[in-house]
Amino acid sequence: MDDLVLELKTEIIKVLNLEGLKPDDIDNNAPLFGEGLGLDSIDALELIVLLEKNYGIKLEDPGKGREIFGSINIFAKYISENRKK
Amino acid sequence: MAVYIRGIGNISIQNTFLSTGIPQPVWYNEPYVRCIDPDFKFFLNPLDARRMSKLIKRAIITAKASISDSGIEMPDAIISGTGLGSIDDTEKFLTSMIENDEKFLQPTFFIQSTHNTISSQIAINLKCYGHNNTFVQGGISFECALSETMMLFADNKIKSALVGGYDEMTPAYFKLLDRIGFWKKEPFASQELSKSNTNGAMAGEGSVSVVLSDSKDQKTYAEIKALDLLYMPENITNSIFDFLQRNNLKSSDIDIVVAGMNGDNKGDSIYWKIFSELFSETSQAAFKHLSGEYFTSAGFGVWMTANIIRSKFLPSFVSLNNIIPGKYNNILLINHYRNKNYSLILLSAC
Repeated sequence: MDDLVLELKTEIIKVLNLEGLKPDDIDNNAPLFGEGLGLDSIDALELIVLLEKNYGIKLEDPGKGREIFGSINIFAKYISENRKK
Repeated sequence: MAVYIRGIGNISIQNTFLSTGIPQPVWYNEPYVRCIDPDFKFFLNPLDARRMSKLIKRAIITAKASISDSGIEMPDAIISGTGLGSIDDTEKFLTSMIENDEKFLQPTFFIQSTHNTISSQIAINLKCYGHNNTFVQGGISFECALSETMMLFADNKIKSALVGGYDEMTPAYFKLLDRIGFWKKEPFASQELSKSNTNGAMAGEGSVSVVLSDSKDQKTYAEIKALDLLYMPENITNSIFDFLQRNNLKSSDIDIVVAGMNGDNKGDSIYWKIFSELFSETSQAAFKHLSGEYFTSAGFGVWMTANIIRSKFLPSFVSLNNIIPGKYNNILLINHYRNKNYSLILLSAC
């Protein structure tokens, strides 16, 4: 799980172009949206693309993203339980 | 209706950003050159900047610099011109489509790929809620943006405007144009570009923002007196003659004529013909040996001309003949893109 968390943080920094941020700077339990990283709805779309591309998870209900993207730990747990690749 | 240049900002292949006047030139001897960028981190919030293409970063930074230079708090309109918008992100988007079998398309690259994102992103960043438009008209995009702005001033719809010309030259786009003979193949030196007797130009890219207003102050650069856009004119010399006549001027009233010579022998011969027929006794100058050729390079010409008028100084490295201008009252900027789109811009001292 620790490897997946690190991998996920690295991918998020790359995909969302969070220049100057390192994986250690992202709190595993902090909310990704609103507070914490302060991501927005376009970032949510980017993360949905990342889920499908990297882990084969197609999010049928985009509204579910609010729950899945709650924090890095929640995100990583969802991936480990649902990944197809 | 008088329209004055109140502020300017320029990122180019020269050290033009935040420079006062025209800096010492940087010379090149290869046809592919990129901008000398400032450190974006000093001017943009990292969270805001992360979704901006390089072109958008340059556009916003020069927009802010020109507004700060003008002393005008917020323009009534933002009107931009671009040939290809954020082509770098368009290429990334298309490459990703091909590599991923048209799946997993990233929204950010798509957003950047729409050309009108330029004026809108500037407006979002500045929190400007006025008139907003982006012109995509190939080699005359900047002039189209300027033309709309002049009409808005004439109709008393606005009192100030931010006008810009923004384009970038990616390696892939440079290569494509190279294959159809746009760029120089033979060795050259950019300081000698106007004397070139070979075909092909030196490529460039740039971001020029200009704040215009219906009022002037002590720092005002120049007045934009008139603008004409022409498509493949039958006789460009006659067109210039008519343009001057409509503005109650003779060719001898023009103190300096500035041409968009880009080193392409075929296209530059048109300027030499105009010079010999109308401006043989006039001080002649060029600007594309400093900016390179790109869709909105006329913006660089306006930036340079405005600086010449305000400083009342014609640097030797832009001068094409030995005639020293006696006055700096009227400068005519002549530009054409591939002998199709022509523009005539008359700038005057104020």
